[in-house]
Amino acid sequence: MSSASRPVGSVEIAVPPTPEYLQVVRAIVGATAALDDRLQPGRVADVRLVVSEAVTNAIRAQATVGVAAAIDVRCDLVGDRIIVEVADHGPGFDPSAVPDLPEVETPERLRHESGLGVSLMHQLADSAQFESGPGGTIVKLTFVVGDA
Amino acid sequence: MQLDVHRYPRDTCVVLVVLGDLDLAGAPRLRQAVVSETATGIRHLVLDLTAVDFIDSTGLGVVVGALRRLRAHDAELSLVCPEPRIRRVFEICDLDRVFTLHATLDDAVPAGGSQ
Repeated sequence: MSSASRPVGSVEIAVPPTPEYLQVVRAIVGATAALDDRLQPGRVADVRLVVSEAVTNAIRAQATVGVAAAIDVRCDLVGDRIIVEVADHGPGFDPSAVPDLPEVETPERLRHESGLGVSLMHQLADSAQFESGPGGTIVKLTFVVGDA
Repeated sequence: MQLDVHRYPRDTCVVLVVLGDLDLAGAPRLRQAVVSETATGIRHLVLDLTAVDFIDSTGLGVVVGALRRLRAHDAELSLVCPEPRIRRVFEICDLDRVFTLHATLDDAVPAGGSQ
């Protein structure tokens, strides 16, 4: 595909805050990201993984306060970037206060069955930004695509 | 495809074959299956992840929890995980340092006995 015909556009979906919709979100966001043929298949898998992490956190956040409002998911193809945004209506959190997990080989680590999601987003996206307040959290995940 | 779990005995262990997506939707089903096996006094459980299409940190959490539960009962956990896309998620989270990711069931449980 030539650069002149590369897709530019957005997909927006409003997702009920229930786990059954995670697969739908991954399919739609992954397929949208894959429209940019500069994104390698492994990176498409990364997009699917990080959006799953972000929506999982959103579902959990809203469940803690019993909010049934939809979670807003958006995927933008803009120039050399793929930008995924997930906005929830949970109670918010302090991204700088997410504790580090114990060293992976220590017995202590086995007591932690969650807590890897934010770390994965930071590792896999080129940029992971969190805006959080009492009204909810917006996660912005950016992938930079180079010319193939 | 959501998550399905099939169970069968093999030599002295039990194999749970996991099929589908191991995420927040599928995690409770696998967690319950592991809890049920632990309650029977099992000595060696194998999770066969060959047919897992997707895993995220919630799914990894269930596997970590399975190891903790089994160790608490002096039992052993083995993983069969040949698919690179699934192995990669373990590797990103450094959990390949905790688990041996066997390529085949025969590697995890040699015929004729439980290792």
